[in-house]
Amino acid sequence: MRGFVPFLGQRLFRALIALWLVSTVVFVVMRLSGDPVPLLLPPDAPTSEILRVRRELGLDKPLPVQYLIFLSNLAHGDFGRSIHFREPALDVVRGYLAATVELGLTAFVLAAVVAVPIGLFSAMRRNTLVDHAAMGLALVGQSAPTFFLGILFILLLSLKADLFPTSGRGDWHNLVLPALTLGAFTMASIARLTRSAVLEVLRADYIRTARAKGVAEVWVVAKHTLKNAAIPIVTITGLQFGTLLGGAVVTETVFSWPGIGRLAVQSIYNRDYAVVQCTVFLAALMFVVINFMVDLVYGVLDPRVRAG
Amino acid sequence: MEMTRRDLLKGAAALGAAAAVPLTAGSPALAQTTQKKELVTAQSGDVSKFDPHFSTSSNDVRVSFNIFDNLVSRHPDGKLYPSLATEWKLEGQTTWRFKLLQGVKFHNGDPFTSADAKYSIERTYDPGAKTMVATVLATIERVEAPDPSTLVITTKKPDPLLPARLAFYGGQIIPKKYVESVGNDAFNAKPVGTGPVRFTSWVKDDRAVLDASPDYWGGKIDMDRWIMRPIPETAPRIAALLKGEVDAITQLPPDQEDRVAANAATRVAGALYAGLYVLAVNSKRPPLDNPLVKQALSLAIDREAIVKELWRGRGIVPNGPIAKGDNHFDTSLPPLAYNPSEAKERLKKAGYKGEEVFIETTVAYVAQDKAMAEAIAAMWKDVGVNVKVEVIEYSVRAQKNREKSFKGVFWSDPTSTLSDPDGMMWRLLGPGGPQDYWREAKFDELGNAARFSVDEKFRGQAYKEMTKIFLEHLPWLPVIQPYEDYGIQKYVEFTPNPNQQFEIRRFNFKFRRA
Repeated sequence: MRGFVPFLGQRLFRALIALWLVSTVVFVVMRLSGDPVPLLLPPDAPTSEILRVRRELGLDKPLPVQYLIFLSNLAHGDFGRSIHFREPALDVVRGYLAATVELGLTAFVLAAVVAVPIGLFSAMRRNTLVDHAAMGLALVGQSAPTFFLGILFILLLSLKADLFPTSGRGDWHNLVLPALTLGAFTMASIARLTRSAVLEVLRADYIRTARAKGVAEVWVVAKHTLKNAAIPIVTITGLQFGTLLGGAVVTETVFSWPGIGRLAVQSIYNRDYAVVQCTVFLAALMFVVINFMVDLVYGVLDPRVRAG
Repeated sequence: MEMTRRDLLKGAAALGAAAAVPLTAGSPALAQTTQKKELVTAQSGDVSKFDPHFSTSSNDVRVSFNIFDNLVSRHPDGKLYPSLATEWKLEGQTTWRFKLLQGVKFHNGDPFTSADAKYSIERTYDPGAKTMVATVLATIERVEAPDPSTLVITTKKPDPLLPARLAFYGGQIIPKKYVESVGNDAFNAKPVGTGPVRFTSWVKDDRAVLDASPDYWGGKIDMDRWIMRPIPETAPRIAALLKGEVDAITQLPPDQEDRVAANAATRVAGALYAGLYVLAVNSKRPPLDNPLVKQALSLAIDREAIVKELWRGRGIVPNGPIAKGDNHFDTSLPPLAYNPSEAKERLKKAGYKGEEVFIETTVAYVAQDKAMAEAIAAMWKDVGVNVKVEVIEYSVRAQKNREKSFKGVFWSDPTSTLSDPDGMMWRLLGPGGPQDYWREAKFDELGNAARFSVDEKFRGQAYKEMTKIFLEHLPWLPVIQPYEDYGIQKYVEFTPNPNQQFEIRRFNFKFRRA
């Protein structure tokens, strides 16, 4: 484990840099994108009103000063006040987080649980009908636009087949369609990736050796193949999970799922700086944490990494 | 986005067996009655503010008019009725005396008195409060509460429309003691009113839960609870209705009405919008500063085609700046004409040399805005106008609106808040108003005189003349007065209100029970 601690330290440092960069970009872009004050006041508000509100929101200070204030607040966990909702931005975002995590996690687990066996099976039955069918379906999953898939599921599986509710958050029934929609791309990616990773491994000498030694096929697959194929799978899967958490805007809109993707988009339209900063920062944070954990798992799976 | 069930099935054939299962929408025979005690509705956007003085958007109006009452109420039949005020009398030219309902309690138990009415009204135009409705009651000079059940309002000049002004947004009555003690932000988070429903909870972008007030003065409404769900996408919103998950949906686009009407359990209900959809003109920008050009642009629009093709007949062609259903709507005026050859003539007469005419359109801010903009652009191209369509985002529109920096024409859906030209044409196009891009002395003189006259004959004549001036100078290009449609379950008995209120009080909303 000697090389592990510096390895971790390096990863942690990189994570913090990433977070700082993300928040800075958001800060700059939001302020360059337009003035939020006209959206807050009635159309016939006098200029003195506009100036007063700008002052109140701290928007009249020079940009570098605003940035320093922003950084110091960030260090205290203060993301500012939502102009639109009139409450602290963090409180607003917190109200949406649970829904996002619920959907993201479910989509991810569903995707992984379905895709890995399919990919594995396809690799083991390479070029058979099963393989072609599975990969064909994966292609559809990767290329179909989320919006199209979502509406399709609603019309077929909810309206026509009456299997699930049409939209909204509720109990586990409400989770299925949005999770399927959100997870489709990930599921397809993981399936195809698993298949190639496994095929790679199956070609290796140690597999031939294991088989020659008379090891049961089940063990060939489970112990030798999967463990070695896991590295690329875990890496990509980790990346996908991060994306799922932050980028579910379309799925959330189609299914009226109260997640932070939707909040972020609405807040951009409302020029609600504080909320946009908070959601982007938290999404980046989740992404960074997950990648960090992937790095940890990586370190466990592959001793070569640990040794530095 | 249009997607018929047939299109979807064609594409879905490859995807599986689910397509073979027959449609189940609930047994049609039983769909006509219900025993529900809970109303679930879906609209295209969430509530943005519960404080009634801080938003005028229809998604908020639908909710706030049920949490709060006004002194006077505009019912779906277009008439004014007593609400928290049982009667009102004009004394002299400028003094209105309102008798207030006794024994009414706010949702927190505080009694409603004239002090609350005075506080609510004064708050709307209090510069310190900075409400969104500051100009609605601006004709008021002072408000007095001589005793708990009497309110005396004195207007600056004679104002025949005062009761109408009190009936719409800005006129909602809020509890003085509660608001003063908790402040605006807490009031917005936990609103308290006198209305038929009280605020229970709100999960943003998920649902607002409102419980029926058991001792509402107008009688407990025909439900125990109202759940309002925002479903921004049209297809899932309609699917929720067809599946029976919601009892009513708003903002039903005309091209989806067949699906709702064809379903055995649901129907379409609509009201002619109390307002117009217009292309407002920045008349300061050449060539739009030339009335002949604007007349040509108006003559080149085939409004009938737009009503028929884009709106499936769910709308009427306006005849001027006054909405049908308003006071002084002139039934003798013909609908705005379509005459492309005359349009070409006027362009020639105007000396039009091919200058660019911009349509800055939003997407889904005004229903069908982008589609209508594209259709109108094609019509204008046909008569030789150098037209450019630019799509702008809503917040950009808000900025341009404030700065009055539109490049040409832009969509607006002025609401006739008073069922009177004063509340639409004059409110928006008058001097200093939000769409003040063009002035004409006679128009201004008449508008002012009509606002402050109690002589309806004089007002009618004034608006007739103003309409003539309007039609010559066209500060708006009226395009359509549409029906605003709802999809509802057949067991819901409800009449839509043209002014976008969602009226669930007993006199207008009932579940049909077996």
